[in-house]
Amino acid sequence: MKSIKNHLMFILPLVAILLGIEFYLVFDRTTDSYEKGLKEGYSMLVVANKPIKLNDLKALNSHIGSIESIKRENIVSQIAKGISKDSQEQILHQLPYFYDVRLDEYVPVNGLNKIKKDLESSTIIKKVETFGSSYSSSYRLFSFIKFILKLFIGFIAVVSLFLIIKQMEIWKYEHRQRMRVMEIFGAPLMLRSGILFRMAVVDAFFATLLTSSVFLYIKFKWAPVSGIDILMQKQDELFDMNDMGVLLISSLVIVIVAVYSVVVSNKGVEE
Amino acid sequence: MSNVISAKNLTLAYDNGAKEIIKNATFSIKKGEFVFITGPSGSGKSTLLKALYGALKPKNGALVVGGHDLAHTKPKKLQELRRHMGIIFQDYRLINEWSVEKNVVLPLMIAGYSEDVQKAQAQRLLKHVKLAEYANKYPLELSGGEQQRVGVARALSKNPVVILADEPTGNLDDYSSNVIWDLMENACSQLDTTVVVVTHKIPTIFSLPYRHFIIEHGGVYEVH
Repeated sequence: MKSIKNHLMFILPLVAILLGIEFYLVFDRTTDSYEKGLKEGYSMLVVANKPIKLNDLKALNSHIGSIESIKRENIVSQIAKGISKDSQEQILHQLPYFYDVRLDEYVPVNGLNKIKKDLESSTIIKKVETFGSSYSSSYRLFSFIKFILKLFIGFIAVVSLFLIIKQMEIWKYEHRQRMRVMEIFGAPLMLRSGILFRMAVVDAFFATLLTSSVFLYIKFKWAPVSGIDILMQKQDELFDMNDMGVLLISSLVIVIVAVYSVVVSNKGVEE
Repeated sequence: MSNVISAKNLTLAYDNGAKEIIKNATFSIKKGEFVFITGPSGSGKSTLLKALYGALKPKNGALVVGGHDLAHTKPKKLQELRRHMGIIFQDYRLINEWSVEKNVVLPLMIAGYSEDVQKAQAQRLLKHVKLAEYANKYPLELSGGEQQRVGVARALSKNPVVILADEPTGNLDDYSSNVIWDLMENACSQLDTTVVVVTHKIPTIFSLPYRHFIIEHGGVYEVH
């Protein structure tokens, strides 16, 4: 019973840290595509006096990803219905050049303002109009959620680390007698701490399995019937098998550091 | 015969050298000798023993054990040296979560002997210390005298070159004390093991020739 309690006292904070890591990974993956969505859903309309090319705009700001010319003929045909062909050509001649401009990556709001300013600094460009009124508010909400989640994960990690340190103190006390006796009889470090390492590695495996199981359950059992669109659409991104490797390596690193600190602080047979 | 232990102008101290316990001691102990170290409480008997197994570095002078100057021995060498020592403590220092048998074979386990060898040696030694039927028990299920006999069996399990014993029979009943003295005498006479015993009182019934050092006011003197 005591042994199970000892294992749980180490496994649970470890699981909390691993859940934090996995939440971060999942959030990063899902927000990556959200950021992509924001980027793709955003466009600028550039009105220019002369025809312009992508490189001309790139020279003004490197975030310009692509440009697409809006056919002026279509505009004229829309606004000049019933007008003579000569008049249409005159209008076409007077009409500036319109371009739909897209960005190469997700850019925050202040970055967008700079792009607009950079483009407007050109004498060829008459006007830059942005479309995507929800961009700014979406981005702010997105940043806020990201910040809160990171804060929460950080908080969980700190609390869990304190619990692990506390457990290490208990280990240190529990294993001191055995490790010191073994040291007196000339046992090398690995033999002295072997039991502790084995115990901690088993705990690391359990914690990884437990965390992975939680996310596999969410992915395959809960998400499909959750009724939450984003989870149903991005079900694949909820848990990747590579994540299991990341979690295992993370938990092993944590336990090795924890055990090593116990072993080192128990070194020295002097009393 | 060669010296197994030799000290020259040895000074041992605690508190980063501030509190000197042994001062300028010079002595040597040869292979196969049985040595008693006596002295009043707090005189430094246990401190000297601690220094002999490398748990306390000399402040000054030289302390050579098994050819290693303990003032300058690296931890790895010290580990190897300790594997040739059998150490007995007044407070037994058994590993309570291990069975009696596992405690006895600790030095063999450290040396990497096979489990068969360990088991055979444990059975032989437990029979010697009259605890054959206690192999699967745990130290806390045993009396003080029984625990100390396990401690002695552990010290003898790898046929050490040196046995260092700190008050091995303090607070023990006569029966356990006699068993322990017999075992140490046998190790010395039959296996040529050097035995250094720190004690308050030399046992009255002791059949082997022995040397006697007394520690007083920081000095180590031989009694002739």
